[in-house]
Amino acid sequence: MRRVITVERDVSATARMLADEFRRAMTRRGTLVVNLLSAPGAGKTSLLAATAVRFGRRQRMAVLVGDIATDRDAQRLAPLVPTVQLTTGGACHLEYSLVERGFHALASDALDFLFIENVGNLVCPSSHDLGEHLRVVVLSTTEGDDKPGKYPKAFRTSQALVVNKIDLLPHVPFSIRAASEDARAIQPGLSVWPVSAVDGSGIDAWCEFLKKERRRLLAANVEGARSKP
Amino acid sequence: MHEMSLVRSLLAQVRELAKAHGGAVVQRIRVQVGPLSGVEPLLLASAWEQLRGEAAMPQATLELEEVPLEARCRACDGVFQPVRFRFRCPLCGSSETDVVRGDGVVLHSIELDDAQEGAALCVE
Repeated sequence: MRRVITVERDVSATARMLADEFRRAMTRRGTLVVNLLSAPGAGKTSLLAATAVRFGRRQRMAVLVGDIATDRDAQRLAPLVPTVQLTTGGACHLEYSLVERGFHALASDALDFLFIENVGNLVCPSSHDLGEHLRVVVLSTTEGDDKPGKYPKAFRTSQALVVNKIDLLPHVPFSIRAASEDARAIQPGLSVWPVSAVDGSGIDAWCEFLKKERRRLLAANVEGARSKP
Repeated sequence: MHEMSLVRSLLAQVRELAKAHGGAVVQRIRVQVGPLSGVEPLLLASAWEQLRGEAAMPQATLELEEVPLEARCRACDGVFQPVRFRFRCPLCGSSETDVVRGDGVVLHSIELDDAQEGAALCVE
């Protein structure tokens, strides 16, 4: 006898549920989790290094670095902040299980910020919830300002856009305005942060934004505690 | 290309479902994908061809249904289909919208056959 079982469930529902639990646990700890997405070479590692220098000892941050094969990015960041390398063994994106393992390997529970540097790729990582509070897409001026429309999911699922390498603007045909407009047609609430991780422009504003997001998280925590019966 | 890992996850879920329904043989799996699912249906189908053998479901067919992208406006509650991923509400102009369909890979249903004795079971 043939019978049809209706399921109507997203294939990633279980992974998303686990990521949600992690997000809630991080909220209770007051740790803002930030997932950085970009194409290879957009400057995620440089942005994190500049952020770590700007935060200094005032903010406690750690980084989980996703890479397909090497630990080069982790080696760059390790002298600045606690860093754990997540090697995907060929996979084009990070999944929540790797993040969970990496977080436990950090063995540091008092963090203000936990950054996840995803594998350089604007396609696959956008489909995977890693338990982050904030998803940030990094686009560099050398990639061209037409990219948001070409990678709609990465931009639709992000809350902030960092335009990196603005020091190169005199030399490349890139309009911050055009890129922002294209991105905001897809994700109207996207905030845009033009920076140069190399010369430091815009890094202060970017770091203030991160601190503001963390204060919002802490306020939500207080609200949550108040509303409990 | 994360279609392989998606299909692995899909197969594991189907296997669990078949087991929960008395170990019946899976004949058909219906999956819905949309423009923001982050997968290419052709690649999903070829990942399925590669993996269904090792999952011991050689008899099962994968049916992919492409669904449109749909969003709901938070201001006017209207549902619309964004054109070229432009998400501003065409009804009231609000930019506060949520995707309600076409952004996931949804296991819609599975078709089971109880009568096939001696056929390769989909559960160990």
